[in-house]
Amino acid sequence: MASQLSLSGFAWKNLWRRRLRTLLTLCGIGMAIGAFVALVGFSRSFETEWLRLYSSSGTDIAVVDKNFMNSSVDQSVVAKVRAVPLVEQAEPMIFNIMDLTPEVNAIVFGWLDNTYEFNSLTFTSGSRFHNGKPEVIIGDTLARNMNKKVGDPFEMQGSTFTVVGIYHGGTALEAGAVILPLDQMQQLSSMQGKVSGVHVRLRPLPAAETQEHYFKRAQAAIEAVVPGLNAQLASDRATNNQFVDLAHAVAWGTSAIALFVGILGIANTMAMSVFERTREIGILRAIGWKSWRVMLLIETEATGLGFAGGVLGIGAGWAGLHVLSYLPKTNIFVSTSLTPAHLLESMAISVVCGILAGAYPAWRGAHLSPVEALRHD
Amino acid sequence: MTESQTHPQLEVRSLRKTYDDGRIEALRGVDLIVTAGEYIAISGSSGSGKSTLLHLLGGLDIPTSGQVLFKGIALSASDLDDYRARQIGFIFQAFYLLPTLSAIENVQVPMLALGLHANNRAERAEALLVEMGLNHRLNQYPNELSAGERQRVAIARALANDPTILMADEPTGNLDSVNSARIMEILTGIQKKRGMTLIIVTHENDIANAAPRHIRIRDGRIEA
Repeated sequence: MASQLSLSGFAWKNLWRRRLRTLLTLCGIGMAIGAFVALVGFSRSFETEWLRLYSSSGTDIAVVDKNFMNSSVDQSVVAKVRAVPLVEQAEPMIFNIMDLTPEVNAIVFGWLDNTYEFNSLTFTSGSRFHNGKPEVIIGDTLARNMNKKVGDPFEMQGSTFTVVGIYHGGTALEAGAVILPLDQMQQLSSMQGKVSGVHVRLRPLPAAETQEHYFKRAQAAIEAVVPGLNAQLASDRATNNQFVDLAHAVAWGTSAIALFVGILGIANTMAMSVFERTREIGILRAIGWKSWRVMLLIETEATGLGFAGGVLGIGAGWAGLHVLSYLPKTNIFVSTSLTPAHLLESMAISVVCGILAGAYPAWRGAHLSPVEALRHD
Repeated sequence: MTESQTHPQLEVRSLRKTYDDGRIEALRGVDLIVTAGEYIAISGSSGSGKSTLLHLLGGLDIPTSGQVLFKGIALSASDLDDYRARQIGFIFQAFYLLPTLSAIENVQVPMLALGLHANNRAERAEALLVEMGLNHRLNQYPNELSAGERQRVAIARALANDPTILMADEPTGNLDSVNSARIMEILTGIQKKRGMTLIIVTHENDIANAAPRHIRIRDGRIEA
């Protein structure tokens, strides 16, 4: 059977001819896509964990100040919110992120000892804390990171607490969190009489009403009794908070820089390749190849680099995400699941990077005069 | 009466080609008529303009002034790609095979531009290489072939698009006498067998004198 030549086969042979340069270019674009996969995957998984945090506890609405990061609400609003007829339960809470050790960060919650939010936790040892006592419960990931068990002392911000329970949380954020009595958290954070917000569980949805309409009605009713505060849907709070926005911004910003460097790498490789193959391009033009076909060949090579770099990058990003999920500093924020949509997006970005990077070298190669190109040394 | 009966296959009128902003005149008003099926040798000393004339005839370059007409129609810059792809087969002194491709793949390259099916491309390339006596060298790369074999692959490649005109620029310039004779035998055989036009640029008198029509170029002009 005679060997068949296709355009893609021709492109592959051209790339394989300079193996080292091709492999180094692949490493460059692979690192860029790997950074994209890991960083954007990290930020999206962070957002997903926030969403699950609210959905697993059954919170429908969060009553907060306008500012998520430093929300501070007078605790007296709790009674006003509880008095709204649509509200089944309203629980004050404080939320913060603290350095427990130089290596370990944790989300720290202050709850009342009878809040409905305990429903999403499963105790693997010990039990709930009691209001007014210096007790904490900790997630199983954090317990593992810090090698703590029930009965152990637990240092936080210069105060000593006792671990009274270890739980398994439904989310990575919960599994890496510390929860302590609201009054203890108020002392620790110098927030006496204040809370970060009030988590609200609404009464069951009336049969004749849509959920969207019901939630809007509830938001309006709550905001009417606590003027100046924001009754935010839990799902909105999970996806549109400053932590998530910051994580997205850092991820996309860093990835954009990495992708730009990756594009430059492919562009450099293709420009060098076109320069080295000037005479060969002249031959192609001499034997009847039109400009667009020469462009297609060069763009096929660049796109091939982008595609292979994408595959390499997805592997590297997946590995990077797994590493982050094991590090004590980051494992409370990360799940290692990568969605098919994110993988497709990464591959598409990598291929588009290849196409963009190949555009100028392809244009340059295609517009060489055949005679000038044939004379090229 | 058909177009080919009323017009010569190739005609050039007052063809001029200058380089370096007109300081170098490679061709100084050349007129030439080529009839379909002719075998023409163009000779001249180095720098006489013979290769420039071949490049202009073959649509590799555009003239500074004057016209190249194919079957009575003047070729414009936008026609040249199609003209080269469908009417012209080029053979060069340095063979110009693509080093990453095997012999059979090199021969398929012009056919990629014609939209032929992959099976047809491969079969046609194999047939052409067999015709060149290279049936045992199909999958060798250019650096694994002798100079004579490389030029035979280049001839097969020039025939791949089934051209009406074969143009050879010093096709034996890099070959020893045995291989030169073999290549000329192949080229003239093809010209006779297929009835195609063959235009050879050469500085070798033996080859030039053997052609039925011999054109001498000197200082950018055809000598009478």
